[in-house]
Amino acid sequence: MKHHYWEPPIALYLFLGGLAGGILFLAAIFNSFVVPGYAEVFALPVLVSLVCVAIGCVFLVVDLGQPGVFWRVWTTSKSIIKWGATFLVIAAVFALLFLLAFIGDAWPIFAGLSGLLKPAADFFLIVAGFFGLCIMMYTGIMLSTLKAHAFWATPALPVLFTISAISTGCAAIVLSIGGWPAAMTLESLFVSEIVLEILHVVDIVLVIAELIVLLTMVLSFAGAGNETAKAAARRWVKGSYAGLFWVGMVGLGLVVPLVMYIGGGHSAAATLVAPILVLCGGCLLRFMVVNTDDRAEIPGENRYYNRLAKNDAEFITKWTYGDNQF
Amino acid sequence: MEISKTSTGLKGLVSPDTVSTEVDIHQDGVTMVKSLCYFCHANCGVLAYVKDGDVIKIEGDPDYSNQGGLCCRGTSALLHVNHPARINHALKRVGAKGEGKWEKIPYDQAIQEVADRLNQIKDESGAEAVASAGGTTRTDDWARRRFLNQFGTPNGFHNALLCWIPTFMAETCVAGWSPFETDLAGAKCLILWGMNPGASTLGGMNGYTDLQKNGLKIVVVDPRYSETASKADLWLPLRPGSDAALALAMLHTIIYEGLVNWEFVGEWCDGFEELQEHVAEYTPEWAAPITWLEPDQIRQAARLYAMNTPGCIQWGCTWDQIGRASTTGSHAIALMRAVCGNLDVPGGDGMPGPALNYLTDEEMELNECLPEEQKAKQIGSNKFKLTSWPGYQMISDNAKRTWGKTLPTEWFCEAHGPSVFKAIITGDPYQVRALIVNATNPINSYGDAKMTLQALKQCEFLVVVDYWMTPTALFADYVFPAAGALERPTIVTHYGATDSIMGGRRAIQPKYDRHTDMTFWRKLGLACGQDPANWPWETEEEAYFHILEPLGLGGVESYNDFVDYYRMYYPPLHQNKFKANGFWTPSGKVECNSTILRELGYPGMPTYIGCIENEIDTPEIAEEYPIVLTTGGGFMPYHHSEHFQMQGIRYLYPDPYFSINPELAEKLNIAYGDWCWIETRRGRIKMRANVEPEVHPNVVFAPRGWWFPERDGSADLDNPFGCLESNVNVLTSVDDEHCDPMGGSWANRGLMCKVYKCGEYDKEYKKEDTQFSIPGSSSEPGVTVMPSDQKLAREPIPFEKPEPAEAVPEGYEWVWQSNTLYQKGTHFRLDESGWLINPRTKGYHDAHTGWRYDAANECLVDDETGKMYTMEREEIVFAAGVRCYPGQAAPYEVPENLTWNQEKGYATLGDKPYVYDPNSGWMLDPDNGAFHDANYGWLYDAATGHLVDEATGKHYDMSYAPVEE
Amino acid sequence: MTRYVMVIDQRRCIGCHSCTVACRTWNKLPLDIVYNPVVTEGAQGTWPNVHKSWQPLLCMHCENPECVPCCPSGASQQDEDGTVWVDPKKCLSCKVCVNACPYGMRDASHLEDRMHRYVRKCTFCRDKRQLDPSAQPYCVLTCHQKARIFGDLDDPNSEVSKLIGSVKTERLFEEFGTEPQIYYIPDLGGKA
Repeated sequence: MKHHYWEPPIALYLFLGGLAGGILFLAAIFNSFVVPGYAEVFALPVLVSLVCVAIGCVFLVVDLGQPGVFWRVWTTSKSIIKWGATFLVIAAVFALLFLLAFIGDAWPIFAGLSGLLKPAADFFLIVAGFFGLCIMMYTGIMLSTLKAHAFWATPALPVLFTISAISTGCAAIVLSIGGWPAAMTLESLFVSEIVLEILHVVDIVLVIAELIVLLTMVLSFAGAGNETAKAAARRWVKGSYAGLFWVGMVGLGLVVPLVMYIGGGHSAAATLVAPILVLCGGCLLRFMVVNTDDRAEIPGENRYYNRLAKNDAEFITKWTYGDNQF
Repeated sequence: MEISKTSTGLKGLVSPDTVSTEVDIHQDGVTMVKSLCYFCHANCGVLAYVKDGDVIKIEGDPDYSNQGGLCCRGTSALLHVNHPARINHALKRVGAKGEGKWEKIPYDQAIQEVADRLNQIKDESGAEAVASAGGTTRTDDWARRRFLNQFGTPNGFHNALLCWIPTFMAETCVAGWSPFETDLAGAKCLILWGMNPGASTLGGMNGYTDLQKNGLKIVVVDPRYSETASKADLWLPLRPGSDAALALAMLHTIIYEGLVNWEFVGEWCDGFEELQEHVAEYTPEWAAPITWLEPDQIRQAARLYAMNTPGCIQWGCTWDQIGRASTTGSHAIALMRAVCGNLDVPGGDGMPGPALNYLTDEEMELNECLPEEQKAKQIGSNKFKLTSWPGYQMISDNAKRTWGKTLPTEWFCEAHGPSVFKAIITGDPYQVRALIVNATNPINSYGDAKMTLQALKQCEFLVVVDYWMTPTALFADYVFPAAGALERPTIVTHYGATDSIMGGRRAIQPKYDRHTDMTFWRKLGLACGQDPANWPWETEEEAYFHILEPLGLGGVESYNDFVDYYRMYYPPLHQNKFKANGFWTPSGKVECNSTILRELGYPGMPTYIGCIENEIDTPEIAEEYPIVLTTGGGFMPYHHSEHFQMQGIRYLYPDPYFSINPELAEKLNIAYGDWCWIETRRGRIKMRANVEPEVHPNVVFAPRGWWFPERDGSADLDNPFGCLESNVNVLTSVDDEHCDPMGGSWANRGLMCKVYKCGEYDKEYKKEDTQFSIPGSSSEPGVTVMPSDQKLAREPIPFEKPEPAEAVPEGYEWVWQSNTLYQKGTHFRLDESGWLINPRTKGYHDAHTGWRYDAANECLVDDETGKMYTMEREEIVFAAGVRCYPGQAAPYEVPENLTWNQEKGYATLGDKPYVYDPNSGWMLDPDNGAFHDANYGWLYDAATGHLVDEATGKHYDMSYAPVEE
Repeated sequence: MTRYVMVIDQRRCIGCHSCTVACRTWNKLPLDIVYNPVVTEGAQGTWPNVHKSWQPLLCMHCENPECVPCCPSGASQQDEDGTVWVDPKKCLSCKVCVNACPYGMRDASHLEDRMHRYVRKCTFCRDKRQLDPSAQPYCVLTCHQKARIFGDLDDPNSEVSKLIGSVKTERLFEEFGTEPQIYYIPDLGGKA
């Protein structure tokens, strides 16, 4: 079958976009409802999210066949991709505005600009956080609307992607909270400790939720329903992806960090290793899902495409029209 | 938009300011040329759109028999013309043989250098030391034979023995011509035997499908569930190579179940009782273990064919590719057709005979130039006589006596190709020193590829004319670029064996320094010093027009006119021809016990002989090589060993796949796509497994022709371009005793092999795998038996020709079968009346002079000079176009006022010089043919309708009344 | 109105790949782009009781194409006559349409310059029909077996209308709701 049209850059983009969305969403929630007034603690996480968005967009654009005209993505009204791009841009713009409000702390030359923006920083973060949520959901919804791919075409996928995005966002905040470029006060350092404590619990919840949704989705596909999805899920559960799935994603990406979170207290295992594992697990999830783009086979299709020449076959590049040999 | 370089498209054909890939054929300056496809024998109609001397687009011709259809090959014609690997210039070898170092030199210089060398070899070793190999029709081979005949060598050959020729000859021995033109519209039943039009002649397949829809029953005989078998009404999946046994058992069934057409047999078949007795032992039960079919399946097929008459059996390549039993099989099938009364009848198998209305290929060959002593030197003609000079001469003389024309010597009378290759290696029967290879890659298309490769390497002087740098061309001293499809006009004469003709125009002049094969032979002939008068045509168009001119088609002043206005010529449908003049055999009947075959030392009736390797006769071989191999069948999208360079085609089918039944694959632990070795006693090749139940669990089917032009040929001279590693001909045998003793063909079907997966340490084609041997054996490399010490599969059967009861007069030949005399040279029959009869026109000729009897004028005509003679063979004198009777009394009533001039033999008016014409009643002026009246000698003036007295200038009307001005 | 559809008579198809090659040659496609593969599962059954049929594929020119609404740049579009096509000048090659197609009938070539790829697909030879509105697609013209019939479904006298009205036809993956407009007359081992 012809598939794997989307290559690693897209999986990475989906991961990074979700991650950025998760960071912005959580930062906005915390800044608005949990620890209002200490926006500077989220300056570094927002910077991380911006970097993720930037890298993600580079991957996205580079993966296009005609990157020079990427702006054409906004020429129709209906497509989901267009909405995704819009969310990304809005979230990135407001995250940037938020960041600019603190950049003066690091580089006094921008102090004036920061001073101008600072009053609206909370607002910027709320907008960025809202669109961050949109990005997280968009990554899953975009795949799930492509009903040609049975493994994607499930409402569980956006849920899974969203939870995973928040979870990875959580991990990223844990790793990056508080500090440059914003100037930190003792109070804000204390607040960041509180946020860390809360995030610790939140991520436990998220990882458990993700585990449940993931297993439900994969195992239910593997057990019943659409033949294509079943075959794909069986590949995850006991086929060629089983190692990656059980050891990589479920084990190292979810169960191990969960154990570390619960049992690790404030050890490096819980504060450093577990979030990194969660991030890796999230990334692996995107790769595995994007690669599981099985279509229903038209009878004989696989046999046909498997027999075609590979693009590196010698005869393909041996002769060039216009370049006569004899 | 620029089309990228990797695109299958052509650069520069698309305007840059549009994204459309469509070429506008309606733009200014585009002309449409009716051309023909030139990639297989189907020769589908092609419309070429030409602008500024280049083809910008082609399309299938919707008004031709292909109805616009073109296969993979046809649609790629434009890519073929411009392919970067095409040979565009004459190449002269500058490095060692095979090194791949060439110098481009002008075409004519290369021709002269080759001619000088050939002449030198001829002077030193005789003309027969020069041989020429051909492939399938992609050439005008009469031109090759015209060259070879003038040069004096009998050693031209093709792969003809694997394709139709032995069958044609056997069929001609039975009934006087090959009954190959199926009249399907009236047929009730069609047997497609060893033929898979679904992968070879697609236009034909379309017709079969349509007819089947209207009730035609189609029986497919094929060991593989082929494309065609998938659409059949009855499919007979026989053991590969057992076709002869099946044919004999079907013949037995038809005869012993009384299903023959008794009326036809009684009136037209000679020796039927003998045949009946002869096939008594070939029961379906006898054939069952050989063919792996149930006796009832065989009976069912025989009944279906015999009870649904008229019916057709379409010739299939397989008949000529089962080795020892090839001609036996086609002989039995020929008799099946005959006893069912399907020969030359509406709805049956038509026997067109040679072209009587235009020039045949044979008439273009100058066969009279080849001396008898050179004919005798033809390699292989002492063994495989049916398809070389001994058999051809008998069949051809008979054809001239019965049809008045004959088969070409190209294809039908050739040296035995494998024996020529062996002669290059061994010098036995004599050293062949030079080989001109035209339009073939013998390593892939002839049997025993390893031996053939060795011969080509060893050949002292090798010249190749081709489109591509083939493994054969790699070893050449000179490579000549060939012009192909679109660059040459095409004429379809069906090997010169039929009476219809089709034509297509040249779309463009050959590109670069490419030349057509006719031009090659002509230039080479002239450079060798052949008489320019024998090479009068500079272009194909001129030659083809010469061929067609006798048709006298209205408005046709050139070959291009013929294509534009007619495109094809079919004589009026003429079936049941035999009813008027008998069959075209020596006896005039269908010969159930062929006299020609017997005279050649072969059985006159089909006598079973098994495959060279089979479970029954050679169990010891079958033990080590238990699987039956079949190969040689055509498969889409390739044609023979061609088109592997065409990227758009190759992309679809990049690697060779052989078919193996899942049951066998499981036993051998082979999975779909695995690379496997296929090995016979002669060697081994590797291919990928197509695991599919389209073949019997003990059969594998391997496609032919594979080589890998994308590789560097010179990198491995043991296996250049990988030409051995997936080449099924590594597995075949051309040992004399493995060849058909009559036709000389070798077996592609029904060989015994073993199959095993390529192992981790045994997946490369090694040097040991490439070692040649004579006879073919992988265990004993080198020459272990000289060719002339090899036996044949069947010893000749002595035949004593009866002596004539009366002395044969000088200048005549006596045909013992019919006890008839034929004039030598003309081959006219001496009738009881004492006249000679021309078989072509059925006209009478004077036995002494050969002059034709003209019944209308009651005189004899010498057609060569156009002169007329009296029945007493005295020349008839004409004056002013009026027949004269000098020295005789007036044979007609002379008007009163005229005088009979006995000396001159006509009536005159006074002293006037005019000649009286008794038919019109006028006097004719011998100087200018003007009419004068017989009373006064006045001149008739057509402009006014008056008579003019030239002396006075006065005008008179037709009743002599003066006309006033 | 005009609604172009194709009827494919599998009873006549013999798997010669002529349509595939005609298409890629005349439409000047990169090597790795195949608009109309002719697929087969091979012979089915147990020797000698086997049957084999071929299924020529191409864009289904769906009534409700999945590949059009998902396109962000408006390159993937459908004409009024039903022809679904991609405008190379507008295409970003984001490949969402490629992933949206349930039939796998679109792709961008990997043999073209990395930065100048666009999604390609069968257009029922739209370019050709624009030059000559009565023209038939190349795959139809080149088919020796006349297994492909192209025409206007809205014209009750067209061959496709008559066939669809009289012979049992099947469509691929109707469950996706795409209303594919390629109608197959299956080869069940009977006669055409």
